Amino acid sequence: MNLTPSQWAALLPLLIPAFGACLIPLMSLDKDQATAKWIRGAMYGTALLAVAASFWYLTDLWTTGAQPSFFQLRMDRLAQFTGIFLLVAAAMTILQSWDHFHQEGWVKGETLSLLLFSVVGMMLFASTTHFALLFLGLELFSIPLYALVGTVRARSESAEGGMKYFLTGAVASSCFLMGGVLIYGLGGSLDLAAAALTLKVHGLALDPLVLTGAALLLLGFLFKVSAVPFHQWTPDAYEASPHPIAGFMSVATKGVAFITLLRIFPGSLAPLSAVGVKLQAVVAVLAVATLVLGNLTALVQTNVKRMLAYSSISHAGYLLLAFVAGTPAAYNGMLYYLVIYLAMNMGAFGLLTAFGLVGEHTTFDDLRGLGWKRPAMGVAAAIFMLSLAGIPPMGGFYGKYMIFRELVSTGHVGMAILGVLASLVSAYYYLRFLVALFLQAPSAEAERLASDRPTVHAPLAGATVLVAAAIVLAGGFLQTFLADGFTRRALVDGLGLLR
Amino acid sequence: MTWLTSHQLTILVFAPALLGFLLLALPHNLGRLARMLGLMGALAVFVFSLAWLLGHRGAGFILAERAAWFTLVGLPVDYALTVDGLNLWLVLLTTFLVPLTMLGTWTSLKDRMGTFTALFLMLETGMLGALMAQDLFFFYLFWEAMLIPMYFMIGVWGGDERRYAANKFFLYTLAGSLLWLVALLYLANKAGGFNPVLMGQAAALLPFNVQCWLYVAFAVAFAIKVPLFPLHTWLPDAHVQAPTAGSVILAGVLLKLGGYGFIRFAIPMFPQAAMHYAKPLAILSVIAIVYGALVAMVQRDIKKLVAYSSVSHMGFVMLGLASFTVIGTQGAMLQMLNHGISTGALFLLVGMLYDRAHTRMIADFGGVAVKMPVFTAFFFIVTLSSIGLPLTNGFVGEFWILNGTFLSGFSWGRLYACLATSGVLLGAVYMLWMFKRVFWGPENKDEDSGTHHLHSDLNAREVAVMLPIVVLILWMGVHPKTFVAVSEAPVAALLLEAKAPPPRTFVLKPAVHEAPAAPAGHGHAEPAGHAEAQEVHR
Repeated sequence: MNLTPSQWAALLPLLIPAFGACLIPLMSLDKDQATAKWIRGAMYGTALLAVAASFWYLTDLWTTGAQPSFFQLRMDRLAQFTGIFLLVAAAMTILQSWDHFHQEGWVKGETLSLLLFSVVGMMLFASTTHFALLFLGLELFSIPLYALVGTVRARSESAEGGMKYFLTGAVASSCFLMGGVLIYGLGGSLDLAAAALTLKVHGLALDPLVLTGAALLLLGFLFKVSAVPFHQWTPDAYEASPHPIAGFMSVATKGVAFITLLRIFPGSLAPLSAVGVKLQAVVAVLAVATLVLGNLTALVQTNVKRMLAYSSISHAGYLLLAFVAGTPAAYNGMLYYLVIYLAMNMGAFGLLTAFGLVGEHTTFDDLRGLGWKRPAMGVAAAIFMLSLAGIPPMGGFYGKYMIFRELVSTGHVGMAILGVLASLVSAYYYLRFLVALFLQAPSAEAERLASDRPTVHAPLAGATVLVAAAIVLAGGFLQTFLADGFTRRALVDGLGLLR
Repeated sequence: MTWLTSHQLTILVFAPALLGFLLLALPHNLGRLARMLGLMGALAVFVFSLAWLLGHRGAGFILAERAAWFTLVGLPVDYALTVDGLNLWLVLLTTFLVPLTMLGTWTSLKDRMGTFTALFLMLETGMLGALMAQDLFFFYLFWEAMLIPMYFMIGVWGGDERRYAANKFFLYTLAGSLLWLVALLYLANKAGGFNPVLMGQAAALLPFNVQCWLYVAFAVAFAIKVPLFPLHTWLPDAHVQAPTAGSVILAGVLLKLGGYGFIRFAIPMFPQAAMHYAKPLAILSVIAIVYGALVAMVQRDIKKLVAYSSVSHMGFVMLGLASFTVIGTQGAMLQMLNHGISTGALFLLVGMLYDRAHTRMIADFGGVAVKMPVFTAFFFIVTLSSIGLPLTNGFVGEFWILNGTFLSGFSWGRLYACLATSGVLLGAVYMLWMFKRVFWGPENKDEDSGTHHLHSDLNAREVAVMLPIVVLILWMGVHPKTFVAVSEAPVAALLLEAKAPPPRTFVLKPAVHEAPAAPAGHGHAEPAGHAEAQEVHR
């Protein structure tokens, strides 16, 4: 088959990481990999190279403004945005996992391979409106993630978390599939945009089956973004998985699900506006439930990773509020928030690696006094936590600001008040992180244990943390550049919104 | 050079934070150097602020920088810094108190001095920025950002309950300002931007009940900072737990931002709603005055006593604002400066005592006057100023506020003025009683007592810190005009805008003739009969 250069251009960003993902297991065939340091280095190098090449390719596409497509795979601006977003997250994850797996004593090549495959799946998921491709992408990124959660087989919690995630995820995927099938069955086209148009023409927009189909599709997305009531897997899965993987899941899965939700619901299914209005009400209720439940549950966690998991649930609530407002500017705010969220959460999980916290439970007590011992990490932690809480001048504030502003301007003042109250509650548990880092001295026993342990050496994770902190600060001070130059153009050129 | 001279305000605001970040990067063992550099920097900022701001003090002077900053979601945000009659002296108070506090608490901290100094400087940027910002979004940024250094100052260097106090301070203030943010967004949406003038115009077109809601959102955010009864409960915790430097700045500047917010934003933007709520505001102020004083009376901890006296004193500020008279508002402006200086000085003095005795309990002292005569003298002067003795600054501010309230066109003015006057009396009671128990009387010979641990009187550094304060106390008491002349015109304009009821005038009986009586307030000269007829019942 002969492909035109344009078709190659659309495919390559996906093919490069896929190729890398295939190479890595070949390298790790050597049984002695635990001793052969260079093999390990080569695996990580390959993974980074694949990510970097794809990233370079996408940024090149972005700067030229080309929007190539390969049949139903459209590498438009929004897809390019998603790709860049994912590759940055993947690069940070790879760097952090080098340190983390060395601390855990569990370096296996397949981790990287799975990670790259899931990146490919996510990019596919976010760059199409064709249902078959969508489902392919969904499975391609979900299945490696199930495996990644249970990657540290030596720990029973790991297997438990992985299994839990897998079972619930499988149900959600099948619901998503069923939803697509219903719409396909009535609309007669696997392309959701075409199907929606057909349904509208035939006056089937409010048919109960269409409504069910759309609701089931939505359910699939809500599961991936861990919105209430489909959130129960989140804390267990995060707790079970290695820190970098948890960070990657919290950022990439959520990000990609939100972007695709944006592409499908206000985008492709726009002709079915009657359905959209009904679903918007559902989303509003669920957003409120997510905010309330996520924040209140996060308050009582003693385990840092569970706290971060509930915090990520609550952030899904803020991002859902953008859909409640439903204006292009709100979607812009959502994309902006996702960029900052990427930095905040990858940074927060990276901190756990940089502090050398390993083992099954990471409690707040383990963090005590670390901010003073590692001042650069401490400052970065303060930046992440304040940004997560939405305190200016950090980037997280502007994300919330944009979403709340759109809520207010569309008349959802009550939702906005609820949103700010939720972020007030959230400030408390983010402060707890800082309290542990700076305001509490480690207990005598912890001091004694710490002196026995080897000194933590995590330069790569530390570097990613600093980069993430820089991004968060940039979000706070160069907001125009990010919002107008990056997220807005993704919306304008990708979806034709906000022109 | 032209950039430097045309961006004086920018330099004043951001230079401290810049220095702060540099100090933060210094290695840990260079804490002493960082402390020294911090003091130098803060002094330089003070000197420059005097040189640049005090130069043009003429009527209606205004020093402004305004540029478009960014536009997000369709709302333009301006980079707007202004110094005018309303904030000139508060800005100077800030730049004055920061180096003074650094010097006054030079040896109080033993560890992580560099970080503390860096946070202190960042806090100065936050405070100056909030005082100068003339764009509500910009103001909001500073207002919130200020919490971060203060949180760490209380939480890391504070007393035993510091974590609780720091969290309470942070969350309490955040609660008010987040709800305020929603109101801000609502109004910005109507006005198409965050320019306070445009927002005020947009607010005027809204239905009255919406205006009232918006005003309440503004007022609650500011009242938490003031703090106005019943939103004051964070203050005693924060004050008592904070290190001395934190308490001084908290009392000296942070609380002022609440009152300043009212006079700069809440009242001018919603004049009708502000008038509508003048009576509730006055009621709460009077309660704050009396309640704060009563609670202060029964405190055993000197620092806590001073903290509650802050509630009482800031109640006067709010009462002055609620009176809607020129003299009352001017009194509130002056009282803000007074309180910054007197209470700041009290916290410094308590800190000096604590550094020596390691206790602040009144019962642990007695006969301090014998051991530390110089300290006692300074403490006495500051105490008198806090009580409001004539010839000290406290008297002028409180007198004007009470006068303004008494004369205000509201029907409740006279009654509330009388009630508030009892606060002055109670102030004398709690301060003098505390003074008597701590300083006079026989020396407390107990081995464990605080007096026993007092071995040295104030050294040269501490005297150098207290002297400018005493000078200011007397200067403000004798010639307050220096400090209120610039704000007279803006305040009068503000009240005119708000359509405040004209102040009452009193004519000695029997009324001699029908000629207009002499104006009682400074601003409005109205015929007496006319004013009586216009008494506002709200």
